[in-house]
Amino acid sequence: MGTVTGALPVPAFGIRVAAKPRVDYQNTPEGALVQRAQSGDETAFREIVERYQSKVFSIIHGIVRQRNDVEDIAQQVFAKVYLSLKSFDFRSSLITWIYKITVNECFDYLRKRKVRRLVYESDLSEDEVRRVENSEPAVDRQTPVDSSLAQRDYILKLLTRVSEEERMLLMLKEVEGFSVEELAEKTGMNENTIKVKLFRARQKLVKAATRLERTPGLVTG
Amino acid sequence: MHTVVMESLEEYLAGALEPAAQRTIEDHLSACRFCREEIRSMQDVSQLFLSLRTEEIVESSPGLYARVMQHVGRQKARPSFAGLFGLELAFGRRLAFSALLTLAILGGYLVSRETAYTGGPSPEAVMAQQESPAFDSAPAPDNMLVTLTAYEH
Ligand SMILES: [Zn+2]
Repeated sequence: MGTVTGALPVPAFGIRVAAKPRVDYQNTPEGALVQRAQSGDETAFREIVERYQSKVFSIIHGIVRQRNDVEDIAQQVFAKVYLSLKSFDFRSSLITWIYKITVNECFDYLRKRKVRRLVYESDLSEDEVRRVENSEPAVDRQTPVDSSLAQRDYILKLLTRVSEEERMLLMLKEVEGFSVEELAEKTGMNENTIKVKLFRARQKLVKAATRLERTPGLVTG
Repeated sequence: MHTVVMESLEEYLAGALEPAAQRTIEDHLSACRFCREEIRSMQDVSQLFLSLRTEEIVESSPGLYARVMQHVGRQKARPSFAGLFGLELAFGRRLAFSALLTLAILGGYLVSRETAYTGGPSPEAVMAQQESPAFDSAPAPDNMLVTLTAYEH
């Protein structure tokens, strides 16, 4: 399967896709709000927090499912938004930018939690460690991952094998349900670029899954 | 994966293809095992994303803005601390390595100097001299020269 794909150059997609004029995010009401916040207007930043907090909360909850930690992560997300808002360049919509920061924070949180867990596990007895190992997501095709929890662990593990940008595009496409056209509009990239990036990202996920199936113990997460 | 499938991959996976385009892809898939297998793997992975969707409405707590600003205040209050721990791992490792290397070279040098010139001031004496207030009060370059000269002979 990989041989054909590997041998083919990535084709120029979208002979049928007409280039669309980019959305000028700077000249939208939201753009004006961001510019006010960028120039230090605290009420504008407050409006941004209030406008997007429920969206940010639900993205975080979808990924980490730890109610107690959602608020902490959300605080961290908006603190990052505040501190790096000056570098926001209006190439994408504000929510796309916030989305990316949120997903990154969630993965950062999961990585730290994994480290904490590994430290904790090292104090367990052999039997207990074995039980923990067995509770890892099923990685064999013969034993399909059926519980939603195991599926989530599994896809999150696979998503650590792609770049931040690929992760964001995949999440926007698969979790948020946006079309390629909508993604182009939100990110400021053209549709062909999005298709190529998504295709490569999907290949990486499949490859990572194959590797996990072959050597379940090798990749932990 | 062949172009005919790849071009419409995203719409196909999302189940959003027009009937005619859907037929074209299916015709190709029924004839091409490579594409069939690859797209199946991609569909499997695609399915997993459903587990990340949340129907649940997560209530954002009131007063988030105030807490975010406190958070920002705390982060601003410890810039050096953040900078220290924000060091890239690779950079940190290089830093640690070069520090060790410096110590090793310096140590080796001092030991060799000490054994070769037993009559001269010991490295400890030189270091003590450098730390003394008198060293600080005199013009620095001259003093440094004196120190080095004393050390050489
Ligand atoms: Zn084919």
